[in-house]
Amino acid sequence: MSGKIIAVDVGGTFTDVVAVENGRITTAKVATIPASSDKSVLAGARALGVSDASIFNLASTAGLNAVLTRRLPKVGFLITEGHRDVLDRGSLVRPLEAITDPTWRRNFGDAGGRPIVPRYLRRGIEERLTAKGEVFIPLNEAQARREIELLKRCNVQGVAICLLHAHRNDIHEQRLRDLVREILGDIPVSISSETSALVREFHRASTTVMDVLMKDIYGDYTKRLQTGLDEVGFAGEFNYADCSANLLPSDYAMQRPYQLLMGGPAGGAVSAAHFGGVIGDNNLLCADVGGTSTDISVIVDGVPWSAPTFELEHDLVVSATSINIVTLGAGGGSLVMATPAGDIATGPDSAGAEPGPACYGDGGKRPAVTDAALCIGILTPGGFLGGKKRLHPDLALKAFESLDTPLPLTQRIRYGWNMAVNNIAEGLLNISIGRGIDPRDFSLVACGAAGPMILPCLLDQFPIRRVIVPPYPGLFSALGLISTDRVYSDHRGRYMTLDAASAPILDRMYSAMEARLLEKVGADQPGLRVVRTFDARFLGQSWETPLIEAPPGPIDEAAVNAMIETFRNTYEKLNANRFDNLPVEAVTYRVQVILPAAKVTYPEAAAGATPEPIGETLLRHLYDQPTPAFEYDRESLGVGATIAGPAVIREEMSTTFVPAGRTAVIGGHREIIIE
Amino acid sequence: MAIVAKQMSVEKVPVAGACPECGAHALKRYEALSAGGWYQVTKCQDCLASIERKPWKRLGYVDRSHVDVLLASYKAGRK
Repeated sequence: MSGKIIAVDVGGTFTDVVAVENGRITTAKVATIPASSDKSVLAGARALGVSDASIFNLASTAGLNAVLTRRLPKVGFLITEGHRDVLDRGSLVRPLEAITDPTWRRNFGDAGGRPIVPRYLRRGIEERLTAKGEVFIPLNEAQARREIELLKRCNVQGVAICLLHAHRNDIHEQRLRDLVREILGDIPVSISSETSALVREFHRASTTVMDVLMKDIYGDYTKRLQTGLDEVGFAGEFNYADCSANLLPSDYAMQRPYQLLMGGPAGGAVSAAHFGGVIGDNNLLCADVGGTSTDISVIVDGVPWSAPTFELEHDLVVSATSINIVTLGAGGGSLVMATPAGDIATGPDSAGAEPGPACYGDGGKRPAVTDAALCIGILTPGGFLGGKKRLHPDLALKAFESLDTPLPLTQRIRYGWNMAVNNIAEGLLNISIGRGIDPRDFSLVACGAAGPMILPCLLDQFPIRRVIVPPYPGLFSALGLISTDRVYSDHRGRYMTLDAASAPILDRMYSAMEARLLEKVGADQPGLRVVRTFDARFLGQSWETPLIEAPPGPIDEAAVNAMIETFRNTYEKLNANRFDNLPVEAVTYRVQVILPAAKVTYPEAAAGATPEPIGETLLRHLYDQPTPAFEYDRESLGVGATIAGPAVIREEMSTTFVPAGRTAVIGGHREIIIE
Repeated sequence: MAIVAKQMSVEKVPVAGACPECGAHALKRYEALSAGGWYQVTKCQDCLASIERKPWKRLGYVDRSHVDVLLASYKAGRK
């Protein structure tokens, strides 16, 4: 690895910063300023000396937060007349929580809700293309001008355009964009035929609207960051992480910025996959336990499971290939509560960053999982966040005492802790079984600041092979941004039965996408790889099996037959049925051009002497009797060191708990393996 | 001769002031039936921005439902 690489992962509470130079990793954590996270990013980058770095990688949550809080720019939406409510209509599927709720209703028109674009800014345009892309009703330019003039009077900051069947023919969308530019000037405009040229009107419309919003948000954000980086003398390469934690050069990312929406959570999965490759363990469950939530991903044969779309909220869909992450409402800040029946429940409500758990001393009165860890003795008052935050055990105890329950204090704390562990165990079990994997064959990677503290306790409740605590667990997501490649991608959508007649169409489609990408990247780049995939289904199905590998080179009849065979094999593996007599219909076609990027290395560590404890803590409330546990400094533990539980292993940004009856062994790359 | 239902219309009452979204002086108040029931709305007639929206009578222009008629008849019979 040449030169210094800096990676920044912006979280809800802290911004994690990692620098890697000559194999040496340095880290920093700075408080996130939610209203202007670019300031946190620049502060973190300066803290680790970005001026002499050659690469700067960023996973930003600025766009995601803006959408979730609806602090969005005012944009207009032009769509074929009669379809202006497509965003309200969505997929027509009720959310899970509303299936048994007769009062739930979809918020059409002005009826309320939190529309991304208010109805009066969604304007119908007189035009119509057929499903084959032929012009059925020509674009009425005079009417279109009137609608765009109206958007001008409403002072919109951007315009999204999504016309029916435009993925087959972009003629009307292109002309509308010209009219928007003519009337509204140089404002962000996204057209669906460029942003997301895929079948399905709602998905295409939703993605295009997200894209124009992100163009506005990330346009200014990127300028501010670039200016800040220029001021400190950074002259290297600035990359964003996309929804699969792949790296995109910042200027390229701005062409389709909707891909940046979920960059942060994907980092942990990529990091786990990379580290799994280093230690030779390629079947992993990765649990990133933060303050409010736990992000779970599955890695099979070294590859994180991905999906072609993701949903930010119910019916707020973005068509972008993304790592499949399931979020549970369980973290270090999850609140411990007494139910009306007087028993104890934990989460999903969280103490959040403000006021935080009661032991922070920042005004929080309700106990959280972190308070339980402090009362038990896993955390110590002076060792939190590398000593930067002092914890108050008296406030934690007081918070537990305030719970309205007849249970004694010890049970309040023990049950609160055990319920947090149980919630994550239940989530992991659902995810494993739901995806047809046997958790007994998988290792659990414990990351996030609270992961190594909570997750080893799962070994008593959940049939997992072992728990692995990687180096720098609190900054593992940020390390994911130095564990991945640069990826340029393109996609097309078209319903097509796979047979000999489809071969020339497929060949033209794939070769055109490849040619465009290679022209942009340069075909002679060292280590360059081209990956083709497609989504397909049996003719008559309404859902696709995504991301099936397609053969390289010219697509002829033999290649089409290979695609059909790969589809049937994949389908059989996932669904245990093959249906050899049913025709296969392809729907979406993708090309990725992958350029290898410099990655973090985890050097082999030296064997160490018998581990020497640095202290002893008394574990209260967790077991039937107060139980002493040795404390160790992770830095001093060499390869092969074996520690019998109960024990606590401390490091600057995290604490690992080895439960009673379990054993921790230090692996060859300084990972802690608990079995 | 065909029987044609009597056409219904709603009176849109002009409201003073400019639309905060597009600036047009075209605000009007009227009743509208939408998801959630009857509302009295104030909307800009130029850009259709919804300026105000408050719940109106539960049955809108229907003053008496069948239940009301039956109840009244029942009560009258008991006297």
